[in-house]
Amino acid sequence: MSETTPTTKTDRPAKTDQSTEADQPTEADQPANEPDVTTAADATNGDGATHTTAGETDEQVREEWREYDFEGMAKFAVEDLDVHYGDDHALQGVSIEIPENSVTALIGPSGCGKSTFLRSLNRMNDRIKSARVDGSVRIDGQEIYQDGVNLVELRKRVGMVFQSPNPFPKSIRENIAYGPEKHGDIETGPLARLLGRSDAAARDRLVEECLRDAALWEEVNDRLDDNALGLSGGQQQRLCIARCLSVDPEVILMDEPASALDPIATAKIEDLIEQLSEEYTVVIVTHNMQQAARISDQTAVFLTGGELVEYGDTDQVFEDPHSERVEDYITGKFG
Amino acid sequence: MAGATRTPLVRADASRPEAVASLAMAIAVGLIAVGIASLFGLVPIDAAIGGVPTVTALGGLLVVLGAAVIGLGVGSALGYIETEPSPNAGLVATVGFAFVWFVLGGLTASLVLEGGLAWLPAGAVTGGAAFAMTAATREDIGSTLPAGAVAIVVGGTFLTGTIGPVWVWDLGFEQQASMTATFLVPAATIACGLLAGWAAATAYGGFGARGRRMGAYLLIYVNASAIIGVLFLLIAFTAVRGIPGLLTGATVGSGVGPTVSVLGVSVTLPVAVPFVMNGVSLLNDFQGVLPAIVGTVWLVVGAVVLAVPLGVGAAVFLTEYAERGRLTQAVEVATNGLWSTPSIVFGLFGFTFLVPRFGGNKSLLAGMVTLGFMLLPLVLITSREALLAVPDEYRDASAALGVSKWQTIRSVVVPAALPGVVTGTILGVGRIAGETAPILLTMTGGTFVSGDRAADVIGGFAFTSQPPFVTNPELLQATTALPFQLYALITAGVGLGDNVSNPVEFQWATAFVLLLVVLSFYAVGIGARYYFRRRLRHE
Repeated sequence: MSETTPTTKTDRPAKTDQSTEADQPTEADQPANEPDVTTAADATNGDGATHTTAGETDEQVREEWREYDFEGMAKFAVEDLDVHYGDDHALQGVSIEIPENSVTALIGPSGCGKSTFLRSLNRMNDRIKSARVDGSVRIDGQEIYQDGVNLVELRKRVGMVFQSPNPFPKSIRENIAYGPEKHGDIETGPLARLLGRSDAAARDRLVEECLRDAALWEEVNDRLDDNALGLSGGQQQRLCIARCLSVDPEVILMDEPASALDPIATAKIEDLIEQLSEEYTVVIVTHNMQQAARISDQTAVFLTGGELVEYGDTDQVFEDPHSERVEDYITGKFG
Repeated sequence: MAGATRTPLVRADASRPEAVASLAMAIAVGLIAVGIASLFGLVPIDAAIGGVPTVTALGGLLVVLGAAVIGLGVGSALGYIETEPSPNAGLVATVGFAFVWFVLGGLTASLVLEGGLAWLPAGAVTGGAAFAMTAATREDIGSTLPAGAVAIVVGGTFLTGTIGPVWVWDLGFEQQASMTATFLVPAATIACGLLAGWAAATAYGGFGARGRRMGAYLLIYVNASAIIGVLFLLIAFTAVRGIPGLLTGATVGSGVGPTVSVLGVSVTLPVAVPFVMNGVSLLNDFQGVLPAIVGTVWLVVGAVVLAVPLGVGAAVFLTEYAERGRLTQAVEVATNGLWSTPSIVFGLFGFTFLVPRFGGNKSLLAGMVTLGFMLLPLVLITSREALLAVPDEYRDASAALGVSKWQTIRSVVVPAALPGVVTGTILGVGRIAGETAPILLTMTGGTFVSGDRAADVIGGFAFTSQPPFVTNPELLQATTALPFQLYALITAGVGLGDNVSNPVEFQWATAFVLLLVVLSFYAVGIGARYYFRRRLRHE
């Protein structure tokens, strides 16, 4: 539950800090391009110092920067996760524990592996042929990278919302009911109707419940049979969240869910995420650091080369980061 | 900005030259239209328009057009008309005029000097003169004078009677081919109309960039409307010729038509159109083509039923399951090749492979399967394109909900691709419905089939207690189809008995009915596509 998270979201002074940070111009003497990772990048792993990187600041990533103690249960436990796309090493030895019923933000510059990491959590990387995943990801203690994992069950438990709204070209009702119908949880087909087992009422209840949870019910309840592509971008994205909720997941992964939306739609999505975190574990990738500071309980910072540099309580990461590079990144000196 | 030319934002009053240019454009477009109509025989070349012989009238209009175009150019060059001409007319116009004048000079020389190679230097002289003229002068002269001069020269030969309605140029070939006025006059009128119309449009736009844009617009509009006009003309031509035969003996009144029973209810139709309701028999008052219509419809239905599931299934496998590589490439090359395979080859395959296996005689089923094989490649190609065009976001979204691949394909990918599949099927049906060669070899029996032998495929199904449990003799009988019947009627002239009073009307009516059947298949297909699109999109 939310009280198990280290801080509550209301008492955080992050907003004022962020506004001052946002006003800082990028230093002219800082190189704008991203640093090259030295070839010795993943030479060693563990016991304090791991490796050095060249670039805006030379520094060694320390293990304690990535340690984060929290109360309550860990939903995900990731150990030494490496992902390769062909010869490209996209994630390097990431180890992280994600607490349940909280919002975890993943931030970092483009190409640093945030989305790759997110897609590793429900094995969506399996859909990319060149991707190779090594390491361990456990959800509630169960390893998901082993033989015999039921991908259908995994993805039912770990739902996903994508960067651009992608509702199916079907009606709003069919969009929500799609998952449960395909899983056989509700039957509304002609056969079921013939046998008198039609769950049309159950389906309508489910549709209403999901749309209410996604704060969309009031706006669309009079046009559930309209095509979902006729909704606005923000409504489509909330519909996608509602669709994701329809299979009753435990975790919701969000890959920059608000990046294609205007500020008002973004605010609605952010409110929604805050509500969802009471019942669900939310992991969100975002490019918008103010957004991460506003909505998340803990923040993980990935930097160039696909390494996790710092992970901790959001207030700590934004106000007093251990890593100089993380500080440079969140104050806008690079990235 | 260096090098930028400034032109007046608002042009001074130029209504009179513009009116002249518009009039010239209108004359040019009218001449092109008359020329096309005359090529189709709608305006006879030896008749008269409003008391004036057609050729003379065309010649007069061409001279007026040429004079107007030259007048516009010269007026602009002398400064009477406010224009913004470029330094010259450009390479395309130069080469074009040189070619036209080369042809004109060469033709004239070979006609006047009779034989020899004298046409070559003559053509070179006129072509070179036109080239120099266009290249060396400013655009207002260069693009109007050669065009206007062509119109005046050609118009003059028409006007003076040098080329009259009975003029013939014997080419002296072995084959006795000759160029007659019936072809030359309309063709030359169209060519001059295009040239001079283009020049007039350029002048209308005041030359320069705007003028050339106007010229290009004129050519594009004339081209587009000519294509559409020809298509409509084709259909109208068939309809006009076909309708009298179609309506032979047609009567309207209660109880005159045949009795049709639908779902056990017998209805006597209030109209009788013997041409589409009768077959052929000695006792008929009027003969008809009902068996051929029914045969064509069943052929298309059978081919679609065979080809669409196979084609879509293969496309789903290739797009969603097969690794992109040698196999898919090979299949693509093979399908493209199959689609380009001549239909007679499919017919031969059906004749030697299918017919012996379906009882040894030609049959409706053999025709259906042959046409199905012909339709298959196009359905496969277009379905594959349509499936590839379905956004990956849909597949990702479905996978993230834990829905299996097959269910995703069935519920999201294929419905999203259906409009494309339907489009491909429409195109293919248009082709196979008119095929003659394959059904000639696989399906058709007698040319004329009596009405009671129209294939009754649905009624033909019978169930037996022995394997194969269902039989349908109708499918295994030879029948006929419209394209084949048309072919037999026209080339062989077979089957027309004494009670077809007007064979030509009968042939045209058959062609018209074939056209109607194909168009109604199109209508069904377009309706289906519209339905699926509506379901997909926000409408």
